[in-house]
Amino acid sequence: MFLYSLTLQQATGVVCAINGSFSGGKSQEIVVARGKSLDLLRPDDAGKLQTLLSVDAFASIRSLAHFRLTGANKDYIVVGSDSGRIVILEYNKEKNTFEKIHQETFGKSGCRRIVPGQYLAIDPKGRAVMIGACEKQKLVYVLNRDTSARLTISSPLEAHKSHTVTYSIAGVDCGFDNPIFAAIELDYSEADQDSTGQSANEAQKHLTFYELDLGLNHVSRKWSEQVDNAANMLVTVPGGGDGPSGVLVCAENFVIYKNQGHPDVRAVIPRRPDLPATRGVLIVSAAMHKQKSMFFFLLQTEYGDIFKVTLDHDNDRVSELRIKYFDTIPVTSALCVLKSGFLFAASEFGNHALYQFQAIGDDPDVESSSSTLMETDEGFQPVFFQPRGLKNLVRIDQVDSLMPIMDMKVTNLFEEETPQIFTLCGRGPRSSLRILRPGLAISEMAVSQLPGVPSAVWTVKKNVNDEFDAYIVVSFANATLVLSIGETVEEVSDSGFLDTTPSLAVSLIGDDSLMQVHPSGIRHIREDGRINEWRTPGKRTIVKVGSNRLQVVIALSGGELIYFEVDMTGQLMEVDKHEMSGDVACLDIAPVPEGRQRSRFLAVGSYDNTIRILSLDPDDCMQILSLQSVSSPPESLLFLEVQASIGGEDGADHPASLFLNSGLQSGVLFRTVVDMVTGQLSDARSRFLGLRAPKLFSVMVRGRRAMLCLSSRPWLGYIHQGQFLLTPLSYETLEYAASFSSDQCAEGVVSVAGDALRVFTIERLGETFNETAIPLRYTPRKFVLQPKRKLLVIIESDQGAFSAEEREAARKECFEAAGMGENGKVEQMENGGDDEDKDDPLSDEQYGYPKTESDKWASCIRVLDPKTTETTCLLELQDNEAAFSICTVNFHDKEYGTLLAVGTAKSLQFWPKRSFSAGYIHIYRFLKDGRSLELLHKTPVDGIPLALCQFQGRLLAGIGPVLRLYDLGKKRLLRKCENKLFPNTITTIHTYRDRIYVGDIQEDLASRATVVLSLVSTTALCYSDHKPAMSFHYCKYRRDENQLYIFADDSVPRWLTAAYHIDFDTMAGADKFGNIYFVRLPQDVSDEIEEDPTGGKIKWEQGRLNGAPNKVDEIVQFHVGDVVTCLQKAALIPGGGECIIYGTVMGSLGALLAFTSRDDVDFFAHLEMHMRQEHPPLCGRDHMAFRSAYFPVKDVIDGDLCEQFPTLPLDLQRKIADELDRTPAEILKKLEEVRNKIV
Amino acid sequence: MSVFRGDSWAREAQHRKRRVNDLIEVGLNHGGGSSSNYKKLSSGKYACLVCPHNPILDTPLSCSLYMHMKGSRHCAAESKLKEREHLAQSEMNQKRALSHNSTATTNIGTSARVCMSASRPLIGRTHKIASEILCSDIPKQYTADETEDVKVGGNSTNEILTYNNCSCVEMKLSAEEVVQQQLDIQERRERELKFTEAGWKRDCHGGWFRDENVEFDSDEEDPNVTFMISKKNHVTL
Repeated sequence: MFLYSLTLQQATGVVCAINGSFSGGKSQEIVVARGKSLDLLRPDDAGKLQTLLSVDAFASIRSLAHFRLTGANKDYIVVGSDSGRIVILEYNKEKNTFEKIHQETFGKSGCRRIVPGQYLAIDPKGRAVMIGACEKQKLVYVLNRDTSARLTISSPLEAHKSHTVTYSIAGVDCGFDNPIFAAIELDYSEADQDSTGQSANEAQKHLTFYELDLGLNHVSRKWSEQVDNAANMLVTVPGGGDGPSGVLVCAENFVIYKNQGHPDVRAVIPRRPDLPATRGVLIVSAAMHKQKSMFFFLLQTEYGDIFKVTLDHDNDRVSELRIKYFDTIPVTSALCVLKSGFLFAASEFGNHALYQFQAIGDDPDVESSSSTLMETDEGFQPVFFQPRGLKNLVRIDQVDSLMPIMDMKVTNLFEEETPQIFTLCGRGPRSSLRILRPGLAISEMAVSQLPGVPSAVWTVKKNVNDEFDAYIVVSFANATLVLSIGETVEEVSDSGFLDTTPSLAVSLIGDDSLMQVHPSGIRHIREDGRINEWRTPGKRTIVKVGSNRLQVVIALSGGELIYFEVDMTGQLMEVDKHEMSGDVACLDIAPVPEGRQRSRFLAVGSYDNTIRILSLDPDDCMQILSLQSVSSPPESLLFLEVQASIGGEDGADHPASLFLNSGLQSGVLFRTVVDMVTGQLSDARSRFLGLRAPKLFSVMVRGRRAMLCLSSRPWLGYIHQGQFLLTPLSYETLEYAASFSSDQCAEGVVSVAGDALRVFTIERLGETFNETAIPLRYTPRKFVLQPKRKLLVIIESDQGAFSAEEREAARKECFEAAGMGENGKVEQMENGGDDEDKDDPLSDEQYGYPKTESDKWASCIRVLDPKTTETTCLLELQDNEAAFSICTVNFHDKEYGTLLAVGTAKSLQFWPKRSFSAGYIHIYRFLKDGRSLELLHKTPVDGIPLALCQFQGRLLAGIGPVLRLYDLGKKRLLRKCENKLFPNTITTIHTYRDRIYVGDIQEDLASRATVVLSLVSTTALCYSDHKPAMSFHYCKYRRDENQLYIFADDSVPRWLTAAYHIDFDTMAGADKFGNIYFVRLPQDVSDEIEEDPTGGKIKWEQGRLNGAPNKVDEIVQFHVGDVVTCLQKAALIPGGGECIIYGTVMGSLGALLAFTSRDDVDFFAHLEMHMRQEHPPLCGRDHMAFRSAYFPVKDVIDGDLCEQFPTLPLDLQRKIADELDRTPAEILKKLEEVRNKIV
Repeated sequence: MSVFRGDSWAREAQHRKRRVNDLIEVGLNHGGGSSSNYKKLSSGKYACLVCPHNPILDTPLSCSLYMHMKGSRHCAAESKLKEREHLAQSEMNQKRALSHNSTATTNIGTSARVCMSASRPLIGRTHKIASEILCSDIPKQYTADETEDVKVGGNSTNEILTYNNCSCVEMKLSAEEVVQQQLDIQERRERELKFTEAGWKRDCHGGWFRDENVEFDSDEEDPNVTFMISKKNHVTL
């Protein structure tokens, strides 16, 4: 089996983000690292964040920094990754690419303890960069420029110190003195030696300054001082005349200003009053903003509160440090303050947001200061504040983020053309159920009913230079309606259009006159109101029209073509006639090329399944230039001209070209390239769009021509980041459409469907999916479908949170104290997390839940109707129970029908040791047509049931390391059979016929929760103090003996996070290090097992070392580079191949498609090989090494790498194509084909 | 042509040699021995399979394999082998003829077999036990029959008669009844499986007891009772 891996949706979470001016000049951009890809974002004039560039780096990006050489006007990007290399990138505005300026190797690849890459610090003057590892190693590179002003980088200078753990590093601003870097370090050499643990308890963190002596080219430890043991972060304080220099040390509950030779200035971080006294306050992200006269810091706590920190200083003596409450936004992983007055908040979980500053927190508010710091016997006196609504910030845009995807199911619940992807996303109060549909999101601007059922719609400008359209013309079966566009859209009668007849085409002709083509003639309306009418000869009628600004061709019934041109005086003149052999099915004229009088090409589609290109040149007018036969009669034709581009913001390097698109009656879109000189057609591609013949229309998207295809659903063909994409729109079936531009809506589409006129705009170009989010209450864990009733049952649980009732009580108290009314809050709570757009002064979504002790759990079971997004039943679990597993089960011979089983744990704690007081399996009955639940009984079990599954009319449960089979009893579940031979913790169970496929992990419990929390780029340090275990176990249940036997298992230890049953012998799994793998039982073993009539073999055979007698083979292996949390087999498009869809913690979705032919495998394997050689990844990580990070990649071709082929320079493309014995166009076609098979 | 390019006479000569070898091999097959007399090894050498010590011969050329096959030792070994094969063949024929005889008798019919088994009491008993194991339905009826011989009617009489009197009445059983009987057996087996699934075990007397590791509902069916009742029902039919 060979698979093609393709990322369908790039990761949406953000690991780190920096802001600066990367394209030079005044513009402000943000660079975000999303795990393995690097994106460049820029807020546009309307305040929307646009993604300018997104590059897959095939490495785990762990840190980002930016610097600017003195006197330069452009920032460079420094990337720390797992490649063992430091990479400096420059954004090339012209080509819209990141260019690698420098790449210096310093260590082994991979996320390792002592290989730098985890931390980056920059000298504020851009003279040096320090790259650090979690332990021991720190390297300093000197940055300079050569005579031709190019950036140079020195060889590395070591600032290593063995036996130290580094927590944070930062550059110290000391003007143009020698660059200094600060680091929070902990020396563990003594703790390592001392077995009593005493020195481990006494270990002390230090703040150390490293000085780079530019003269001696040497790094030395300049100064080291004890620092608070809870210090976790350093923030650079401006210096060198702009400020006092030094650093802010962020520690638990405190912010401390430190500098060499300066006493500590310490202030306490204000706390929320509802925070338990045992919980501290930590700073998680920081941003510094510097203006000419002042500077301030924004520090965000782990609860989401942002504080503005200012320093009162007199030159380099700091007299006071003030911490003032600023605002509260969801917890971020990075904050970026843009000079243009925006704040980009890259959320840790959930959607990212762009805020605009309304004020900079000058109004009085709760403030703590170093001067008022009180130390009493109990320690420092805390300062309290009450979170409030946003005052200084206002949110103007948000960017969707699925991070983390906890569970996913692909199914067609809504019976649409394509299945929907249901994902459980987010964490805590920001969790949601998101329904993803392949396609672009649209936003509907207006819908209005029309007096009849319209057949067509057009928009026209009055003058070619007008910015906006003047009229919307709607044609009915026997009339034409003209609407004028102004403040409002209203019907007019003085437009000069003939309204008693249907129209065939309406357009602007010449510079300022309008044309209406109707079945019996052409009406030409001059700017001054004169009307010229051309009548058809005899009783023939016009059936089809093709026109551009200066040329019109009409087809009469019977197949005669008449060609008109606009002459110098603006008159429409008949030029030529041509008799076709039969009726004409469709026509189109290519747009007039820039600086030309006419377009040369006319395309005519006939019912004999051909498309002809005719010349319109006076020399060979109406000569057939070329002929293309197609599979079924064409219904609609459209020339799409792609202007020449040399990269730039939204295009790659390509010459001008002309495409002819035709919608065939079979529902296929047929696309060919038209030779600009000879009119020959080449490079034909076709794609099935839907059951109806596509009608094609030209619309404007981001200032470029794009194509709207209306089949059984609308599609948009457009160019995005240099690639032509054809994606469906998530909208209903449309009949006819035209581009629309008015002052309210610059780039919209007006369309007719049924008897309504609809105006909409297309949003978020370049995305594969659009989403509908339904908020949830707690972190969702798993869900099941109730396919019969089309309902979802979701389990949610949160650690350290109050249950809804407790929160409600606390909230009431709080509101009473504040004297505010609380209108309708109860209802909102019932709907789970609050809708953020509501005017709730303290929405949980924004402010988070109040925190409590870590052994407190809040959990609920929810029945949700996804169609109405309504929660039909919500059961809060009582007694500190938390739900971890769920399944539906149909017990045989029992009366209740389908029941719901939920596995829970009571008082679960992970630290200092995993413990719980009880585990239960709840059995619920569905009431009211499945819309409600009733508890039948709950059965205590001796472990945490992490996996449940129905099996032969009974319930299989994985309880710790025990696999157990339960039957339904009157008062409890009855244990019928068990197998205790599993090594650790069962996390997944799948069944098929009499086989049971059990997934086992090494790590304790709630692997997902811990994986999610310990997160992301730092799959980093894997601790290996575990005994090896196997990932998959194949079991068989024997009825006659009532026994469960393990007959095969895996030979490799895996930390399983997701599993899926592929076929009788094959399982797919994913582990927490980001690998996906398939295992298969060898055919002969499988046959042997199935043909064992007595069962003696299975019973008595024993493997070595307590393993199973048979081993499964690993047939596929691939490193995704992101923790996969869910796997499913599904076909995303009707008639498409089934593929494995996976979702990851970082919020990306990908697919693995099995190849069906050996030729394709060979082709893509070679393409991948050439791409690896010719286009090494951006961050210096070897592609092959990345995909083989933990196990050698096996039988998977990386489609993401192959899809970078069009971004290569043309000569390189040609070179690779030559080596593959193909043309670049063929390669592109092949890439497009395989993508179209998936989505 | 350049010698360094590799397409010189050397390669051609090699080809020629290989071709000659192939031809000789063909000659060997046609002439002296069959291809099963020797084996071509992966190294390109040949091993003689006839001679007991399997000599390895370098080439099929005249000097080695071909000559070896004409040698006296090889010929002696060959004739010995043939003799042995012939012996084995005749023995096999003999056995086949015998077994053919016995199958012919079984083909006569089920009744004949039953009759024959009657003449062989031991085999008859074995059949009985085997059927008892395979379909645990029959033997119990049978044991019950001995005491309640008089009451019994219908199908079971036939069976008893078959077993006890060795008459060939079984032939009269209609096909339907046989199917019905099979179904009953299946159903019963299914029910037994249900009980084993539910955690019941069987002791050596055929009784049922509860597995101590398994939990049961308070009102769970007891197979001992169930089967007793069903047996009675069956009997009173």
